Amino acid sequence: MEENNEKKSKVIVEVIEFGPLKITGNFLIKDLQRNTEDSSGEVRLCRCGKSGNKPYCDESCKK
Amino acid sequence: MEKNESQFSGGRRYKNKDITVYWKPSACIHASYCYRELLEVFDPSKRPWVDMEGSTTDRIIEVVNLCPTEALAWKWNDETKNDSVGSDQLNHINFRRPELMNTDENDSNNEPVSVKIMPDGPIVLKGSFTISYNGNKKEVRDSMVSICRCGVSDHMPFCDGQHRKAGFIG
Repeated sequence: MEENNEKKSKVIVEVIEFGPLKITGNFLIKDLQRNTEDSSGEVRLCRCGKSGNKPYCDESCKK
Repeated sequence: MEKNESQFSGGRRYKNKDITVYWKPSACIHASYCYRELLEVFDPSKRPWVDMEGSTTDRIIEVVNLCPTEALAWKWNDETKNDSVGSDQLNHINFRRPELMNTDENDSNNEPVSVKIMPDGPIVLKGSFTISYNGNKKEVRDSMVSICRCGVSDHMPFCDGQHRKAGFIG
């Protein structure tokens, strides 16, 4: 059952502990702050608030 | 325990090992064939009201076929078997609700998941996807999830609205 569901869902959202939000698959990001779009298939989004390259992670979380 | 009930747009669906039964409440005219014939499966006083383990697959199909509306429909879980059902199977979704053949798993896959970066706020995910966090793995179906982007939520990884108090900019 679990396995079946995984195959059906093309988009995987992974909350990395003490790290970014990793999204892979068929998604469309709309950044309403910067007015940009991204459907590249894989991104890492900042979750700590410290990135200098928002909305993306720049590994400031590791410092 | 395995969850045999799930939602689709317009209603709920219930599964056993052979078939899936679709229930669309808005189409029900309370003709009540289902629970008069097979209370072991269709019991309006219970939640969920459909128990797919309450009888045999053959009997469930028989009773779903009695439903005079499209409130109840069914299909084989083995998709290859759905192509060759006879027209005597009145409430097979090929005849009752052909659109369900597409809206199910297939459609939600084609639709890109919407990810919105809210100004000075969270990441809002909308659609169908698999999400893993804190060692959990969950299937999200046609729904919304808000992920904290400011780093101060008390309900990590989810947004709890504290970005405003925290004065988060980004």
